[in-house]
Amino acid sequence: MTATNFLSDKDIVIIAYGEVKNELRSGKTATELTADVMVQLLAKTGLTNRDVDGFALLLPLSETGFPWYSNVVVENLGIQARWLQITDIGGCAILGNIARAAAALKCGMIEFAFCIHADAPSRPSVAEYFNYRSEFQEPAGYQGPLIAFGLMTDAYDQKYGLKPEALGRLAVAQRNGAVANENALEKLRKPITVDDYLNSRLVSEPMRLLDCVMRCDGANGVVVTTLERAKAMGVKKMVRLASYSEITNYDPTNSTPDAFETGFQVVGPDALNKAGMTPRDVDMFHPYDDFLIAMLLKLEQIGFCKRGEGSDYLMSTDFSPTGNLPLNTGGGQISAGQPGLAGGGLNVIEAVRQLMGEAGSRQVPNAKNALVTGIGVVPYFRNWGSSVAMVMEV
Amino acid sequence: MAEANKRPVPVPSHTSKPFWEAGKRGKFLLQYDSVAKKYQFFPRPVSIYSGSDKLEWREASGRGTLVARTNVQVPHRGFEKLVPFVLAAVNLEEGVRVVARLIGVSYDQAKHGMKVRICWEELSDGSRMFAFEPDM
Repeated sequence: MTATNFLSDKDIVIIAYGEVKNELRSGKTATELTADVMVQLLAKTGLTNRDVDGFALLLPLSETGFPWYSNVVVENLGIQARWLQITDIGGCAILGNIARAAAALKCGMIEFAFCIHADAPSRPSVAEYFNYRSEFQEPAGYQGPLIAFGLMTDAYDQKYGLKPEALGRLAVAQRNGAVANENALEKLRKPITVDDYLNSRLVSEPMRLLDCVMRCDGANGVVVTTLERAKAMGVKKMVRLASYSEITNYDPTNSTPDAFETGFQVVGPDALNKAGMTPRDVDMFHPYDDFLIAMLLKLEQIGFCKRGEGSDYLMSTDFSPTGNLPLNTGGGQISAGQPGLAGGGLNVIEAVRQLMGEAGSRQVPNAKNALVTGIGVVPYFRNWGSSVAMVMEV
Repeated sequence: MAEANKRPVPVPSHTSKPFWEAGKRGKFLLQYDSVAKKYQFFPRPVSIYSGSDKLEWREASGRGTLVARTNVQVPHRGFEKLVPFVLAAVNLEEGVRVVARLIGVSYDQAKHGMKVRICWEELSDGSRMFAFEPDM
């Protein structure tokens, strides 16, 4: 674990966010969706594409077959990049890019980083998996996330006992957020009850349909720069980066780990410590949510509750915008839709939107900080591949 | 009528070729790091314990204990006719985790802690894929 916090000066800031509405079939490519977000970001900042010198993106599922995707994107956008970053740590790529952008800014390599993440999985899949995925998982019928999280849920239930109605409460809280979120997938903007959750069909038993995300097309992005430059521009609203922690391939020499032991027991406390915080100090929690169980595991491993007490914590905590721990107030991916690999941006954008006070009817009163997380990649039966956590402040 | 999707078959790599060759003879091999005195699975080009490329192939007992299971109701391509089926995560006696189909028992019969052993399924191209069955 690194001891220093490279963000301790709090002099790297997000000055704008952009997001397109999630759609089942947008008819657009990831490059076109990226352009939609860039146009929003330019309008908000008053910058032109000629001002953009740093650009970060992720490798979308819908473009994985294209080895020079990042070059083609900047060529389409008229951007001359002096720093071009493509990140492939799955749902961690967005926070990963913001952190990498912060490093490039602090080194003086660039003046602005546009971090834009788009995916259009409604297009024909070009993704191809190699190594253990094609050799040891696919021939066994081990389909990736659905199986991995089914096994993880079962292993957790066996060790600690899992209350399905507790996950149901979380599903309902997030769905209320999606109903209030105009950018959420329209199909999902209908309230649900705990019974709806409990009665949804089993897909990878013990997991239910409403434990999972629905794939869609979408895109999101932020502009990151230095505090000094933001002040010089006269920027009124900005969000400061306070700390960041990242880990990939946690505990690699343990060949029989419990599936639910994740990198969050490292990066959660690490990010909070570096920001001088404990879980009690967190005003809002915006966790990456591909499956409901992932949020329960993170709440335990970051330290919001004790290990094994996640179900009880979910039962006794109010996750609404006015509750004791506002959580994924825009619905998260589970209720707003998962725009492919860009899905990890939904919670990031919602945190920034809240901290800028622009969340409308779902605004969290007096939120001064947010803990935001990412999860990436399904490994060969062990937790998940990448875990990241960031503290943002105003 | 469209042909049914074929179940995916394993394509050996340079590293894993001995594993699949032995599988044809019903043997389940593991890589062994004789310095760290530990086994690893899946096959890798180096030891995850020491980084060394001095790895031996050793035949495993094929016996293990079920630590997690899921009932697969949404099939991967090529598994449409097999659903629902049970996928089990098993700790082998050699201290490695293997995930494979559990054959011969239903999801409700697949209990944590149950003893299982490796068996082999014949695939369309003549290759074989490992699975688990109850170890009576």
